[in-house]
Amino acid sequence: MKNKIKVYRAMHDLSQEALAQKMGVTRQTILAIEHGKYDPSLILAAKIAKLFNVRIDDVFLLDTLEE
Amino acid sequence: MMKRNYFYLFVAAVAFIEVVIFSVSVDIVDPVPSVLAIILGILGIYFVRMHLDEVIEDERTQKITEITALRTLQISWVGLFLFALWIIIEALGEEFRHFNRPLGIFGFRLLAILAGIIVLYVALSIYYNKKYGV
Repeated sequence: MKNKIKVYRAMHDLSQEALAQKMGVTRQTILAIEHGKYDPSLILAAKIAKLFNVRIDDVFLLDTLEE
Repeated sequence: MMKRNYFYLFVAAVAFIEVVIFSVSVDIVDPVPSVLAIILGILGIYFVRMHLDEVIEDERTQKITEITALRTLQISWVGLFLFALWIIIEALGEEFRHFNRPLGIFGFRLLAILAGIIVLYVALSIYYNKKYGV
């Protein structure tokens, strides 16, 4: 799964550490999500989308092969 | 509230104290202090971990723990099963004429423990299937 967390972080001037703190996860988890190594749970994805005030599918995109 | 690094120092201190109490237990030939210390140590670490002001466990670390635990269980079970079979074959001796009783009993006890692990696994699997199923 691809995502635009890095873009939205930049738009909201948030560091990985700050986003991690707001989401209640470790910075390594945000890093792993951004690098596509870990797919977040639906709850975490929803919380991230809510923080950026967008829809989940604005932040997270299914890869073509996964669709 | 405690920082993550202080928490790791606390865990190291608890581990050191456990070792000291274990050696005292061995000296006085009484397992009670050792067992009590381990229980208190686990409870202490658990309590302090709940009051950390930094997140050290989240859904990703939980997933890693789950997969790691499952793989560890699978690998150790197969390894110990092969070891038990090896021991039993060794104990039986050539054409069953030289049965090594202590070794054989150890092998069969190991097999019984491994069977117990499967029973526990199935029981927990049924429990969690009901908990997270329909």
